[in-house]
Amino acid sequence: MRKILCGVLIFTFLFVTGVLQSNAQKEVTYLSLADYTAAIAGLNVPGDMGTEDYFKELNAKGGVDGVKVKFIGVDTRYDVARGVSAYKRYRAEPKLLVANAIGTPIGKAVGPLATKDKIVQLVPGDGEFQANLGRIFVWGPTYQDAFAATVDWLLADWKKKGKTGMPKLGFISWDSAYGKEPLRGGKEYAEKRGVTLAPPEFFPPGTMDHTVYLSRLAKAEVNYIFVGGVDPTPTNVIRDAHKLGLTKTIQFFCDYWGPTSLGVRLHPEALEGTVIVSYYLRGDDARKHPLSNLWVKYGHGKLEDMNEVYTIGMLWAMTFEAGLKIALKEVGYKKLDGEAMYQAYQKLTGLERAGLQGPCAYSPTSRRGSWEVRFYQVRAGKVTSISDWIKAPDAVSLHKF
Amino acid sequence: MKEFLQLAIPGLMIGGLYSLVAAAIVLVYKSTRVVSLAHGQLLAFGGLFFWIGLVVLHLPLPISILLALVSSTIMGWLVERITLRPLIGQPLISAFLMTFAIFMALDGVFQLILKGESKTYATLLSLGEFEVVGVPIRVVQLISFAVVLLVFLLLALFFRFTKTGLGMRATAEDHQLSQSTGINVRTIFSLIWIISAIVASVAGMGTAYVMDIHFPLPYIGIKGLIVALFGGLDSLPGALLAGLILGILENLFAGYLDPLVGGGLKDVAAYVLLLIVLLVKPYGLFGLKRIERV
Amino acid sequence: MRPCGTFDERYSQDMAILRIKRHWGLLIGALILLYLFPLFGSYYFISLVNSLCIGIIIVLGLQIVSGYCGQISFGQAAFMAVGAYTSAILTGKVGLSFFLALPISGIVAGLIGLGGGAPSLRIKGFYLAMATIAIHFVVMWLIPHLDITGKTQGLHPPAPQIGSFTFDSDEKIYYIIVTVMLLMTYGARNMVRTRVGRAFVAIRDNDLAAEVMGIELYRYKLLAFFISCFYAGIAGSLWAHWIQVVHPEQFTLLHALNYIGMLIVGGGGSIPGVFFGVIFLRLLDEGVMFAAPLLASIFPWIGIHPAASMSVSVFGIVLIIFLIYEPRGLAHRWEIFKTSYRLYPFSH
Repeated sequence: MRKILCGVLIFTFLFVTGVLQSNAQKEVTYLSLADYTAAIAGLNVPGDMGTEDYFKELNAKGGVDGVKVKFIGVDTRYDVARGVSAYKRYRAEPKLLVANAIGTPIGKAVGPLATKDKIVQLVPGDGEFQANLGRIFVWGPTYQDAFAATVDWLLADWKKKGKTGMPKLGFISWDSAYGKEPLRGGKEYAEKRGVTLAPPEFFPPGTMDHTVYLSRLAKAEVNYIFVGGVDPTPTNVIRDAHKLGLTKTIQFFCDYWGPTSLGVRLHPEALEGTVIVSYYLRGDDARKHPLSNLWVKYGHGKLEDMNEVYTIGMLWAMTFEAGLKIALKEVGYKKLDGEAMYQAYQKLTGLERAGLQGPCAYSPTSRRGSWEVRFYQVRAGKVTSISDWIKAPDAVSLHKF
Repeated sequence: MKEFLQLAIPGLMIGGLYSLVAAAIVLVYKSTRVVSLAHGQLLAFGGLFFWIGLVVLHLPLPISILLALVSSTIMGWLVERITLRPLIGQPLISAFLMTFAIFMALDGVFQLILKGESKTYATLLSLGEFEVVGVPIRVVQLISFAVVLLVFLLLALFFRFTKTGLGMRATAEDHQLSQSTGINVRTIFSLIWIISAIVASVAGMGTAYVMDIHFPLPYIGIKGLIVALFGGLDSLPGALLAGLILGILENLFAGYLDPLVGGGLKDVAAYVLLLIVLLVKPYGLFGLKRIERV
Repeated sequence: MRPCGTFDERYSQDMAILRIKRHWGLLIGALILLYLFPLFGSYYFISLVNSLCIGIIIVLGLQIVSGYCGQISFGQAAFMAVGAYTSAILTGKVGLSFFLALPISGIVAGLIGLGGGAPSLRIKGFYLAMATIAIHFVVMWLIPHLDITGKTQGLHPPAPQIGSFTFDSDEKIYYIIVTVMLLMTYGARNMVRTRVGRAFVAIRDNDLAAEVMGIELYRYKLLAFFISCFYAGIAGSLWAHWIQVVHPEQFTLLHALNYIGMLIVGGGGSIPGVFFGVIFLRLLDEGVMFAAPLLASIFPWIGIHPAASMSVSVFGIVLIIFLIYEPRGLAHRWEIFKTSYRLYPFSH
């Protein structure tokens, strides 16, 4: 009997202290609806590691004005039903301020819910959310902008090579909403600049062999090919192109989710010369950054095994930290809610994030995380910077959404 | 003609791998009447073990192959022993769901090892390439195609000339009859799963060479299932032929018809083809037509 | 669930679903509880019940075609997509009321489902199952390549409306979903007891014998496909207006496999089995999904990704254990329980 009584007492004590502690601690929640085990895990896993580690670091330093950040990462398996269910499960978390919906279909499905709950939502790069302003913010420049910046780059490259006439650009990506996004606006931009676009190629995600599509692009006599898809897809596409001998004559481009330095390590000779447009630091630029030491500090392995996408995770966290700081100053912890965070996010214009990304461009009229992109090229098996930060052209406004 | 060959030859190479996966599925179906989804994972793990041997442990090539084969043997045995043995005599659809459950259980482990990244050993094994009528062919792919044919040959010899093979053929005909002639059907089931796991892992090593080890690798199992049905669920030669045909036609569909319909036809092609074939020949191209009695 | 000592003296008594007063009491109590649930249930649980109800409707359809008629179908996710898209187009682009679009989308899905059932004339067993997988992929390829479906971008169907009342939240649309689910269950429960339902069972048990008995095989097989796809279409329409987004990437083969899984876990050829199966597998799925972040927050050294991968494995392992110990599904266990209850307090 005494044992039971003791047990009950201990349990009650633990429970009470637990409740008190959870009340005493000021806490806000950051929710990540990510895909850790399916199509875009290569982007999500290291990304969320970065977010989690940055928040750990932040909390260890005492949080933002004493407010700790709670990170929740749910695996949606790139499945809309799971994503929606997860959002609904965690929406009642105390002070949920930001939901990061990684994956185009999940972003679209969670969008209306988050808007109704007045929560800030983050999405990767769909220009649609810049065209229709709402509570949904884009991580960096939109996919369209990156495509447009690439068009500018290739025109300069064309001129530098001293060729006459106009170059022809091919596009190959997943047969999905994400795969087609860069062309919504990007196509108009290319036409505006006079670059001819070969008929774009779309293949189902998970295709084994891409030679068919590549040889068709080669037959259309393109000079440049823009490869979409989340790594390892672009790596595999370019590997197949290398197999066909196309990399010698055609310049390949990848967008943000193109080969990371880990991917380059797998197929260095195939990826040689590939140009990657990025809104965050890649390769040794990213590794030399002091914040990258968190990778080692939190036991993910050696620094040279760091995936650059890790830094994007830290960027989300940094933006969140800055937004929280503003929101706390304006309304205080008690009144802090998604609406306050939304107002705060709109005031982040010009925020510097330790040089990992261009200055923040969130404002009442802009949902872009930044304007600047940077070009990288695979040289001697290393991802090397070949340009400074360049302001990407606005391609979203060219398309009617 | 050159364009046709450019489409057909890579298709043929990949088709060989499809037929190997299909062969593994056919083997299991023939003897146990279980249609398996789990082979996609057995295939993926074949590739994964090979990669672990070759890249992580830096073992020499033959030992890595041996490692992959031995681990697959163990896996095949465990799968049969733990999960499918208790289901003997239960509805076959439950056994099918069981293979799906195995797929999920192993998928978690597969993802755990991959961490969302992609792994490859293709660069370690590149033996160069040569051209046939303007079509580049990699030597490794040619070797793997030869291995496919060799595996089929070995299977044929095994079933034709060994006593165990004969037992397996008998089991495929009728479980009860073969049991009464003194064949241990349970041992046969175990053996069949082991053999099919080995075949799947050989396919896995080849497939992982072509497409690297990343998340869609296990889903090749579904393609294999299609091929198996296409050729007839109980026919090994059917699996070989159907795989080759599908590999080629897939590329031809994507090559010639994609521009007309706006892309993405490569995957659907297999299914449209399957539908047509099944409507004309309900038991697949070479499947055994079962005469039913009331 | 009949207590000991209940004897049927008339045919109508034998056929009654609700045989004794206690059944009526339980039913009315359960209905009241179900309809008052939004008043005290939390937001997440309401949305969970919504998704369970939609799952139940789909699997009911599957139960009719696979559990009763014996034709295994993997096309359920695709036909759900057809229903969802039809409803989204009718309400969003044509401007029809949701309550009209709901039955129409069921019928459209059913009619397209006839195409899915057409091969059943010649194909049987797993070959037919694979043919339905083929149809799944063909449908799911067509949807993002047509103009009317909004291509790869998907559609945004509006919330259902009666007059000026909009069913725009989970609590509100809960009433529609639950009502439709009850109606569909009632329909399915009764249909399998009619001539049609008995014909289905005869086809499942032995199609040759059924044909000899005078059952028009092809007509009934097609009918089974029509009904099953009708159910899927209705579920799709409800899903579309509940989530308010229809996107081609929402309906995957994995979903179709999961529905088959629910059917088998619940038990083929049983309407209560559908409820057991859907609830078991859905809760298992939700459970492992939310266990992962919890695990990662309690034991931070595990990390989020390993926890998520492990949860996928756990899903498979639980299913394996379940199938080893209960290969005939929960409905089997339920029957055993019912029989022993009927005999209580006697042992035989």
